[in-house]
Amino acid sequence: MSPAAVETRIAFAAEHDTPIPYMQRTRDYYQALGFAPYRWAHFADVPFAPLRTPLARARVALITTAAPFQPGAGDQGPGAAYNAGAKFYKTFSVPTDAEPDLRISHVGYDRRHTSAEDINTYFPLARLKEAAAARRIGALGPRVHGAPTNRSHRATVETDAADLLARCQEDGVDAVVLAPT
Amino acid sequence: MSLVARHLEAHGISTVIMGCAKDIVEYCGVPRFLFSDFPLGNSGGRPFDVASQRETLELALRVLESAPAARTTVQSPLRWTDDASWKLDYNNLSKLSPEQIAERRREFEVVKAVAKDKREATA
Repeated sequence: MSPAAVETRIAFAAEHDTPIPYMQRTRDYYQALGFAPYRWAHFADVPFAPLRTPLARARVALITTAAPFQPGAGDQGPGAAYNAGAKFYKTFSVPTDAEPDLRISHVGYDRRHTSAEDINTYFPLARLKEAAAARRIGALGPRVHGAPTNRSHRATVETDAADLLARCQEDGVDAVVLAPT
Repeated sequence: MSLVARHLEAHGISTVIMGCAKDIVEYCGVPRFLFSDFPLGNSGGRPFDVASQRETLELALRVLESAPAARTTVQSPLRWTDDASWKLDYNNLSKLSPEQIAERRREFEVVKAVAKDKREATA
Protein backbone atom coordinates (compact mmCIF):
# COMPACT_ATOMS: atom_id res chain seq x y z
CA MET A 1 0.00 0.00 0.00
CA SER A 2 1.36 3.42 -0.92
CA PRO A 3 1.80 6.04 1.84
CA ALA A 4 -1.02 8.07 0.33
CA ALA A 5 -3.33 5.09 0.49
CA VAL A 6 -2.45 4.56 4.13
CA GLU A 7 -3.30 8.20 4.88
CA THR A 8 -6.74 7.83 3.39
CA ARG A 9 -7.46 4.94 5.74
CA ILE A 10 -6.16 6.55 8.91
CA ALA A 11 -7.73 9.75 10.21
CA PHE A 12 -4.70 11.99 10.70
CA ALA A 13 -5.09 15.29 12.52
CA ALA A 14 -5.02 18.49 10.47
CA GLU A 15 -1.51 19.58 9.49
CA HIS A 16 -1.86 22.83 11.43
CA ASP A 17 -2.97 20.97 14.56
CA THR A 18 0.39 21.29 16.29
CA PRO A 19 1.61 23.65 19.02
CA ILE A 20 1.62 27.16 17.52
CA PRO A 21 5.12 28.11 16.28
CA TYR A 22 5.15 31.36 18.27
CA MET A 23 8.77 32.21 17.59
CA GLN A 24 8.36 32.02 13.81
CA ARG A 25 5.00 33.81 13.90
CA THR A 26 6.39 36.58 16.06
CA ARG A 27 9.56 36.92 14.00
CA ASP A 28 7.58 37.24 10.76
CA TYR A 29 4.98 39.51 12.33
CA TYR A 30 7.34 42.11 13.75
CA GLN A 31 9.53 42.02 10.66
CA ALA A 32 6.47 42.90 8.58
CA LEU A 33 5.65 45.69 11.03
CA GLY A 34 9.17 47.01 10.57
CA PHE A 35 10.71 46.19 13.94
CA ALA A 36 14.01 44.55 14.79
CA PRO A 37 13.93 40.81 15.46
CA TYR A 38 13.61 39.71 19.07
CA ARG A 39 16.18 37.33 20.45
CA TRP A 40 14.68 34.73 22.74
CA ALA A 41 16.59 33.37 25.71
CA HIS A 42 18.32 30.13 24.83
CA PHE A 43 20.60 27.84 26.82
CA ALA A 44 22.31 24.53 26.23
CA ASP A 45 22.45 23.64 29.93
CA VAL A 46 19.42 23.44 32.20
CA PRO A 47 19.66 23.30 36.00
CA PHE A 48 17.73 20.60 37.86
CA ALA A 49 16.98 20.35 41.57
CA PRO A 50 15.01 17.22 42.49
CA LEU A 51 12.16 17.88 44.91
CA ARG A 52 13.79 17.50 48.31
CA THR A 53 10.69 16.52 50.23
CA PRO A 54 7.53 14.63 49.29
CA LEU A 55 4.98 16.99 47.77
CA ALA A 56 2.49 16.23 50.54
CA ARG A 57 4.97 17.81 52.97
CA ALA A 58 6.37 20.48 50.66
CA ARG A 59 5.73 24.19 50.93
CA VAL A 60 4.84 25.52 47.49
CA ALA A 61 4.78 29.08 46.13
CA LEU A 62 2.99 30.50 43.12
CA ILE A 63 4.69 33.03 40.84
CA THR A 64 2.58 34.90 38.30
CA THR A 65 3.09 37.39 35.48
CA ALA A 66 -0.37 38.84 36.03
CA ALA A 67 -0.52 42.46 37.18
CA PRO A 68 -2.28 44.02 40.18
CA PHE A 69 -5.27 46.05 39.06
CA GLN A 70 -4.23 49.70 38.93
CA PRO A 71 -7.07 52.23 39.21
CA GLY A 72 -6.59 54.98 36.64
CA ALA A 73 -4.33 52.91 34.37
CA GLY A 74 -6.92 52.39 31.66
CA ASP A 75 -9.04 49.43 30.67
CA GLN A 76 -7.69 46.27 32.28
CA GLY A 77 -10.87 44.23 32.11
CA PRO A 78 -11.66 41.14 30.10
CA GLY A 79 -11.33 41.92 26.40
CA ALA A 80 -9.26 45.08 26.97
CA ALA A 81 -6.82 46.01 24.23
CA TYR A 82 -3.13 45.58 24.96
CA ASN A 83 -2.56 48.05 27.78
CA ALA A 84 1.07 48.96 28.33
CA GLY A 85 -0.05 51.46 30.97
CA ALA A 86 -0.96 48.51 33.23
CA LYS A 87 2.53 47.04 33.16
CA PHE A 88 4.69 46.82 36.26
CA TYR A 89 8.45 46.83 36.45
CA LYS A 90 9.18 45.65 39.96
CA THR A 91 8.48 42.30 41.58
CA PHE A 92 5.62 42.30 44.06
CA SER A 93 4.17 39.96 46.67
CA VAL A 94 0.65 39.58 48.03
CA PRO A 95 -0.57 37.41 50.91
CA THR A 96 -1.70 33.94 49.86
CA ASP A 97 -4.70 34.30 52.18
CA ALA A 98 -6.05 37.14 50.06
CA GLU A 99 -7.83 36.92 46.76
CA PRO A 100 -5.77 39.42 44.78
CA ASP A 101 -7.28 41.21 41.81
CA LEU A 102 -4.74 40.41 39.11
CA ARG A 103 -5.25 41.14 35.40
CA ILE A 104 -3.49 40.37 32.13
CA SER A 105 -4.29 43.36 29.93
CA HIS A 106 -0.56 44.24 29.98
CA VAL A 107 0.62 41.16 28.07
CA GLY A 108 0.16 39.79 24.57
CA TYR A 109 -2.25 36.96 25.24
CA ASP A 110 -4.57 35.60 22.56
CA ARG A 111 -7.25 38.29 22.51
CA ARG A 112 -9.32 36.58 19.89
CA HIS A 113 -9.73 33.22 21.60
CA THR A 114 -9.13 34.05 25.27
CA SER A 115 -11.74 35.99 27.21
CA ALA A 116 -9.65 36.55 30.39
CA GLU A 117 -12.94 36.59 32.30
CA ASP A 118 -11.94 33.82 34.72
CA ILE A 119 -8.82 34.60 36.78
CA ASN A 120 -8.31 30.87 37.35
CA THR A 121 -7.28 30.39 33.73
CA TYR A 122 -4.10 32.37 34.28
CA PHE A 123 -3.73 32.47 38.08
CA PRO A 124 -4.27 29.04 39.68
CA LEU A 125 -4.28 30.19 43.32
CA ALA A 126 -7.78 28.87 44.09
CA ARG A 127 -6.86 25.47 42.69
CA LEU A 128 -3.60 25.46 44.69
CA LYS A 129 -5.54 26.27 47.86
CA GLU A 130 -7.72 23.25 47.17
CA ALA A 131 -4.59 21.12 46.70
CA ALA A 132 -3.28 22.32 50.07
CA ALA A 133 -6.64 21.65 51.77
CA ALA A 134 -6.63 18.13 50.30
CA ARG A 135 -3.03 17.63 51.52
CA ARG A 136 -1.89 17.06 47.94
CA ILE A 137 0.75 19.64 48.75
CA GLY A 138 2.00 20.30 52.26
CA ALA A 139 1.17 23.99 52.31
CA LEU A 140 1.20 27.13 50.26
CA GLY A 141 3.85 29.71 51.02
CA PRO A 142 2.62 32.82 52.83
CA ARG A 143 2.92 34.99 49.73
CA VAL A 144 2.25 34.89 46.00
CA HIS A 145 4.92 36.65 43.97
CA GLY A 146 4.61 38.68 40.79
CA ALA A 147 7.23 38.74 38.04
CA PRO A 148 7.46 41.67 35.60
CA THR A 149 7.35 40.98 31.87
CA ASN A 150 8.73 42.84 28.86
CA ARG A 151 12.07 43.33 30.53
CA SER A 152 15.54 42.87 29.13
CA HIS A 153 16.97 39.40 29.74
CA ARG A 154 19.61 41.03 31.88
CA ALA A 155 17.10 42.84 34.09
CA THR A 156 15.06 39.67 34.42
CA VAL A 157 18.02 37.56 35.55
CA GLU A 158 20.04 40.05 37.56
CA THR A 159 17.22 41.94 39.24
CA ASP A 160 13.87 40.14 39.06
CA ALA A 161 14.97 36.50 39.31
CA ALA A 162 17.37 37.33 42.13
CA ASP A 163 14.65 39.22 43.97
CA LEU A 164 12.12 36.40 43.51
CA LEU A 165 14.66 33.86 44.76
CA ALA A 166 15.22 35.95 47.89
CA ARG A 167 11.48 36.18 48.50
CA CYS A 168 11.03 32.41 48.05
CA GLN A 169 13.93 31.74 50.41
CA GLU A 170 12.45 34.10 53.01
CA ASP A 171 9.19 32.17 52.73
CA GLY A 172 10.99 28.83 53.10
CA VAL A 173 9.41 27.23 50.05
CA ASP A 174 10.57 23.91 48.63
CA ALA A 175 8.97 24.27 45.22
CA VAL A 176 7.44 26.88 42.94
CA VAL A 177 4.64 26.73 40.38
CA LEU A 178 5.16 29.40 37.71
CA ALA A 179 2.14 30.46 35.68
CA PRO A 180 3.02 32.79 32.80
CA THR A 181 0.37 34.38 30.64
CA MET B 1 9.31 33.24 33.48
CA SER B 2 11.63 30.55 32.11
CA LEU B 3 14.62 32.58 33.30
CA VAL B 4 13.11 32.81 36.78
CA ALA B 5 12.50 29.05 36.90
CA ARG B 6 16.10 28.40 35.91
CA HIS B 7 17.42 30.76 38.58
CA LEU B 8 15.32 29.22 41.35
CA GLU B 9 16.32 25.74 40.30
CA ALA B 10 20.01 26.63 40.23
CA HIS B 11 19.59 27.59 43.88
CA GLY B 12 17.90 24.37 44.95
CA ILE B 13 14.20 25.20 44.57
CA SER B 14 12.21 22.79 42.37
CA THR B 15 9.98 24.41 39.77
CA VAL B 16 7.32 23.63 37.24
CA ILE B 17 6.09 26.02 34.56
CA MET B 18 2.45 25.85 33.47
CA GLY B 19 2.41 27.37 30.00
CA CYS B 20 0.93 27.55 26.51
CA ALA B 21 3.94 28.63 24.39
CA LYS B 22 5.75 25.35 23.85
CA ASP B 23 8.46 26.47 21.48
CA ILE B 24 9.51 29.53 23.48
CA VAL B 25 9.77 27.71 26.81
CA GLU B 26 11.61 24.72 25.37
CA TYR B 27 13.96 26.94 23.36
CA CYS B 28 15.00 28.62 26.61
CA GLY B 29 15.38 25.31 28.40
CA VAL B 30 13.59 24.77 31.70
CA PRO B 31 13.60 21.99 34.30
CA ARG B 32 9.89 20.99 34.18
CA PHE B 33 7.08 22.17 31.94
CA LEU B 34 3.40 21.32 31.75
CA PHE B 35 2.31 22.40 28.28
CA SER B 36 -1.38 23.08 27.62
CA ASP B 37 -2.13 23.40 23.90
CA PHE B 38 -4.52 26.27 24.59
CA PRO B 39 -4.59 29.92 23.45
CA LEU B 40 -2.16 32.15 25.36
CA GLY B 41 -3.75 33.17 28.64
CA ASN B 42 -5.14 29.77 29.66
CA SER B 43 -2.18 28.00 31.23
CA GLY B 44 -4.37 27.20 34.26
CA GLY B 45 -7.13 25.48 32.29
CA ARG B 46 -10.38 26.40 30.59
CA PRO B 47 -12.48 29.38 31.75
CA PHE B 48 -15.27 28.53 34.20
CA ASP B 49 -14.34 24.84 34.00
CA VAL B 50 -13.08 23.88 37.45
CA ALA B 51 -12.59 20.24 36.44
CA SER B 52 -10.20 21.23 33.65
CA GLN B 53 -8.36 23.60 36.00
CA ARG B 54 -7.99 20.87 38.62
CA GLU B 55 -6.76 18.40 36.04
CA THR B 56 -4.26 20.93 34.71
CA LEU B 57 -2.85 21.69 38.17
CA GLU B 58 -2.72 18.00 39.09
CA LEU B 59 -0.68 17.28 35.96
CA ALA B 60 1.68 20.12 36.83
CA LEU B 61 2.13 18.75 40.36
CA ARG B 62 2.85 15.29 38.99
CA VAL B 63 5.49 16.74 36.69
CA LEU B 64 6.94 18.61 39.67
CA GLU B 65 7.33 15.50 41.79
CA SER B 66 8.23 12.93 39.15
CA ALA B 67 10.28 14.51 36.34
CA PRO B 68 13.41 12.35 35.95
CA ALA B 69 15.62 15.07 34.49
CA ALA B 70 15.73 18.63 33.20
CA ARG B 71 13.78 19.59 30.06
CA THR B 72 10.87 17.37 31.02
CA THR B 73 7.79 18.50 29.08
CA VAL B 74 4.40 16.89 29.53
CA GLN B 75 1.58 17.90 27.21
CA SER B 76 -1.87 18.02 28.74
CA PRO B 77 -4.32 15.74 26.93
CA LEU B 78 -7.00 18.43 27.15
CA ARG B 79 -8.12 19.98 23.85
CA TRP B 80 -9.24 23.59 23.51
CA THR B 81 -11.70 22.68 20.76
CA ASP B 82 -12.10 19.70 18.47
CA ASP B 83 -11.45 22.05 15.57
CA ALA B 84 -7.85 23.32 15.70
CA SER B 85 -8.38 26.29 13.38
CA TRP B 86 -7.91 28.74 16.29
CA LYS B 87 -4.19 27.98 15.99
CA LEU B 88 -4.09 29.74 12.61
CA ASP B 89 -5.13 33.12 13.99
CA TYR B 90 -2.52 34.44 16.44
CA ASN B 91 -0.30 37.10 14.78
CA ASN B 92 -0.66 35.30 11.48
CA LEU B 93 0.47 37.63 8.68
CA SER B 94 -1.25 35.60 6.01
CA LYS B 95 -4.58 36.62 7.56
CA LEU B 96 -3.83 40.35 7.62
CA SER B 97 -4.25 42.91 4.84
CA PRO B 98 -1.55 45.58 4.21
CA GLU B 99 -3.91 48.12 5.79
CA GLN B 100 -4.32 45.98 8.91
CA ILE B 101 -0.55 45.55 9.15
CA ALA B 102 -0.06 49.32 8.92
CA GLU B 103 -2.66 49.81 11.66
CA ARG B 104 -0.93 47.24 13.89
CA ARG B 105 2.35 49.07 13.34
CA ARG B 106 0.83 52.34 14.51
CA GLU B 107 -0.72 50.64 17.54
CA PHE B 108 2.55 48.99 18.49
CA GLU B 109 4.43 52.29 18.31
CA VAL B 110 1.96 53.73 20.81
CA VAL B 111 2.25 50.71 23.12
CA LYS B 112 6.05 50.89 23.03
CA ALA B 113 6.04 54.59 23.92
CA VAL B 114 3.65 54.06 26.85
CA ALA B 115 5.71 51.13 28.15
CA LYS B 116 8.93 53.14 27.89
CA ASP B 117 7.47 56.06 29.85
CA LYS B 118 6.15 53.74 32.55
CA ARG B 119 9.42 51.83 32.79
CA GLU B 120 11.43 55.01 33.18
CA ALA B 121 9.00 56.36 35.75
CA THR B 122 9.43 53.16 37.80
CA ALA B 123 13.23 53.08 37.61
